[in-house]
Amino acid sequence: MVRYILKRLVISIITIWLLATVTFFLLRTLPGNPFQTEKLLTVEMQERMMSYYGLDRPLMEQYFTYMKNLLQGNFGYSLKYTNRTVNSIIKSTFPVSAELGLRSLAVALPIGLALGVASARKRGKIIDYICVVIAVIGVSIPSFIMGTFLQYIFAIKLKLLPVSQWKTAAHTILPTVALALSLMATLTRVMRASMLEVTMQDYIKTARAKGLGEGRITWSHQVRNAMIPILTMLGPMVASVLMGTFVIEKIFAIPGLGQHFVNSITGLDYTMTMGLTVFYGIFLVTANFIVDILYGLVDPRIRLAK
Amino acid sequence: MSRKILEIKDLHFSFDTYAGEVQAVRGISLYLNKGETLAIVGESGCGKSVTVQTVMKLVPTPPGRLKSGKIIYCGEDITHYSQKEMQKLRGSEMSMIFQDPMTSLNPTMRIGRQITEGILKHENISPDKAKQRAIEMLAKVGIANPEKGFKRYPHQFSGGMRQRVMIAIALVCNPNVLFADEPTTALDVTTQAQILELINELKQELETSVVIITHDLGVVARTAERVAVMYAGKIVETGLSRDIFYKPKHPYTSGLLESMPSAGQVEKTLTSIKGTPPDLFAPPKGCSFAPRCKYCMNICTQTDPDEVQLENGHKVSCWLMNPQAEKRELPGRKSRLSTQKPLKEGI
Amino acid sequence: MSNMSVKLPADAFRPVKQTSETSELITRPSLTFWADARRRLMKNKVAMLGLIIIFIITLMAIVVPVFSQYSYEQQNLSNTNAPPSTEHIFGTDSHGRDLWVRVWYGARVSLAVGVFGSIIPSLIGIIIGGISGYFGGKVDMIIMRFIDIVMCVPNMIYIILITLFIGTGPVALIIAFAITGWMGTARSVRGMVLQLKEQEFVLASRTLGASSLSLIFEHLVPNTLGIVVVSMTLGVPAAIFQEAFLSFIGLGIKPPIPSWGQLANTGISVFRIYPSQLLIPAALISMTMLSFNLFGDGLRDALDPKLRM
Ligand SMILES: Nc1ncnc2c1ncn2[C@@H]1O[C@H](COP(=O)(O)OP(=O)(O)OP(=O)(O)O)[C@@H](O)[C@H]1O
Ligand SMILES: [Mg+2]
Repeated sequence: MVRYILKRLVISIITIWLLATVTFFLLRTLPGNPFQTEKLLTVEMQERMMSYYGLDRPLMEQYFTYMKNLLQGNFGYSLKYTNRTVNSIIKSTFPVSAELGLRSLAVALPIGLALGVASARKRGKIIDYICVVIAVIGVSIPSFIMGTFLQYIFAIKLKLLPVSQWKTAAHTILPTVALALSLMATLTRVMRASMLEVTMQDYIKTARAKGLGEGRITWSHQVRNAMIPILTMLGPMVASVLMGTFVIEKIFAIPGLGQHFVNSITGLDYTMTMGLTVFYGIFLVTANFIVDILYGLVDPRIRLAK
Repeated sequence: MSRKILEIKDLHFSFDTYAGEVQAVRGISLYLNKGETLAIVGESGCGKSVTVQTVMKLVPTPPGRLKSGKIIYCGEDITHYSQKEMQKLRGSEMSMIFQDPMTSLNPTMRIGRQITEGILKHENISPDKAKQRAIEMLAKVGIANPEKGFKRYPHQFSGGMRQRVMIAIALVCNPNVLFADEPTTALDVTTQAQILELINELKQELETSVVIITHDLGVVARTAERVAVMYAGKIVETGLSRDIFYKPKHPYTSGLLESMPSAGQVEKTLTSIKGTPPDLFAPPKGCSFAPRCKYCMNICTQTDPDEVQLENGHKVSCWLMNPQAEKRELPGRKSRLSTQKPLKEGI
Repeated sequence: MSNMSVKLPADAFRPVKQTSETSELITRPSLTFWADARRRLMKNKVAMLGLIIIFIITLMAIVVPVFSQYSYEQQNLSNTNAPPSTEHIFGTDSHGRDLWVRVWYGARVSLAVGVFGSIIPSLIGIIIGGISGYFGGKVDMIIMRFIDIVMCVPNMIYIILITLFIGTGPVALIIAFAITGWMGTARSVRGMVLQLKEQEFVLASRTLGASSLSLIFEHLVPNTLGIVVVSMTLGVPAAIFQEAFLSFIGLGIKPPIPSWGQLANTGISVFRIYPSQLLIPAALISMTMLSFNLFGDGLRDALDPKLRM
């Protein structure tokens, strides 16, 4: 087990290193420089800024400096937010995105899985159709449309909830629901398909031949086996949700991390983009690692393979 | 009480598919005596599994549909039992072992629990007692170190061992009838012999009646007192094993016997039956074996033959049995089987 | 009364000559896999409804811009933000452009991006996955590790990066999707190829001397075709969604060329005053995605061999 963890760790570190390197050079090949976009700066001032941030040095030198800092967990200064480090920006915005993400997952995961199970158990019945319809509509409405409508109906028309911002618990409801709906729809679809797949397995027939009741078969035989594909998608899903979603954050004016992903790239804020990419990579690798451990708990065959 | 523990009368079972009705079982009648082993043999797809799974109501309906017929267990008509009522019978009164031990155990559940959940369902005993019973059963089916085996997962066992576990699951509640659906097809030859041996032993010990399904007449010879030969959803010949082996009356049975290797038969190539079984979507007019039959006559392609009774409960459905037909001597078994144990006396 | 005891004419018992044909002839009038799948698909009403909606929307996208008296960029500043009327079926936007024509021209863009943005990456994925799975060893390892690394970053980041390189517009978007979207398909095709490789028929044709490339394409890929077709179909709404998302953040299609995403984005800003400007493109996006999802689901059910009989 220790050896396995060590091996995973080494692979993860190499992955992150390659990721950082590729992103670093990719970003630098983009046309333009970070200060060009601000019209107020003269060419001379732009050059001063470039040299202030060390961007006029040879590329390889910059790369090694960056890597050295990265090793110490230092993502450097943002090129756009004067005097703010990338670390401090992440520190202040990530908790907001993560909270929104966790709230949505806490809603979507149990409901999505339950709907998937219910729908598969009642295949071809009314309940199944209702679940399938909800799920397919859920994945077919883009989040920015869903978010806008929810906001319009519940905040502007009915005035039940705050329109935007992230302050009290009431502020969290609409964005949580908007995000949770699409997650829930996806989970329902996958869980339903997975349950149906398991239903056709021989061991379900064995369980029936033992005389077990349908409820018993569902809970102790089907659900656990059907969870395996869900776990596979859970790693990337959790990572992307906790890292913030640009659309929801923009619509509801939430000070989260998601907006920085988009803004930093379009604004050529190299250090910010680099920092976010590496942070995301580390987060995803960790999430996948946790998922693999969970995998082992659910599926004994995998435990031995280690 | 009658000696018949299970009786099936004129069973018709179909599947409704997009393409139409598949008549998987077309009028089967058979019975099982207390304590005996009945073998059902026939080519792949002739409806063997559907027949026995219909008795246990394990075929999903729809697409399956019981069209007509009666199933009588211990004198009681269970044909129209609900799934709830069947759950009480399954596992405790009748159980089933499936063909592929690799897929018929739940991979994410410990062997022990897979055995005890059946006991706990049917008997009102404490989990500890159930565990005790399960471990005893594991020992009985020949799992070395049953306490340890109890805690293991299926993938930690070989195919033969898993089939032993399946047998333990099936027999732990001491059912009256065991359906073994090709229990040895997926195993290698030596393991096959051991598993059959085990089924025979446990059957004696627990006084279970067994229905064993197989393609392999060698298996029949090792286990069964009586045989039912199925072809295209019907039973074409049935009788005591020795009658079927040495005095087959149906060309299909005879063909099966000829295609079976025996001791001392090394060089001679095996003769197999030419052609493929008919389509169960639209079974042909007349005898369904006619298109492949060496002795096919005009009448065979027109009308299905009715059953003819011979001695010892030997029954056959073939136009050759008609007094007007030319007498034919059908080849049966000449030498003893290579792996043969003495055949038990029939009833 | 048993039919055995009935007296029959002697002719009935004359033997029939069995030829090898007669015994082979009696086989199922077998439906081929595709015919079978098609029949099942046609019976699926929901999937067919999806297909019909897709068809209608496509037809409108082709026809409307051709026959309309307005063009998608023609402005009329004296008639801005007009409500729907007989003259302008969907009204006009803040520049006085006819929204009916803009919506259906936008449908062209969105559908093209959706369809090609799904098919092209899938094809690339099939080729790379096939190669990776078939050759195995070092090639496989390098490709798979590459995918692992690239997949550590949300797709959207690469797409944004690429659009910064090659600019915006429908073609640029499709290229960006092509570069970034093949990995999932490649992974699953590789998995399927590995599985099929084990099977005997590949061995058999290898001994007959087929070259490895023709092997991949003649045997392996057709076997995985069903799954890939389904994932392509379900990829269309995903690509339409991505286009809409990119237009929403201002990196997709740039005005004056319309796309649904871009129309919806414009609509959001005036939603509270002129709701129809958001509702129309939003409804079309959702309906199209829904139709493709329904059709894709039906296709998957139709092609699932386990449901086949
Ligand atoms: N779910 C189903 N839907 C439609 N047809 C089915 C279904 N299950 C079985 N059949 C058909 O019923 C017929 C009998 O099947 P069955 O499984 O009983 O055959 P078998 O004799 O057990 O064969 P094998 O030796 O291969 O197990 C086959 O022709 C099969 O195609
Ligand atoms: Mg069978």
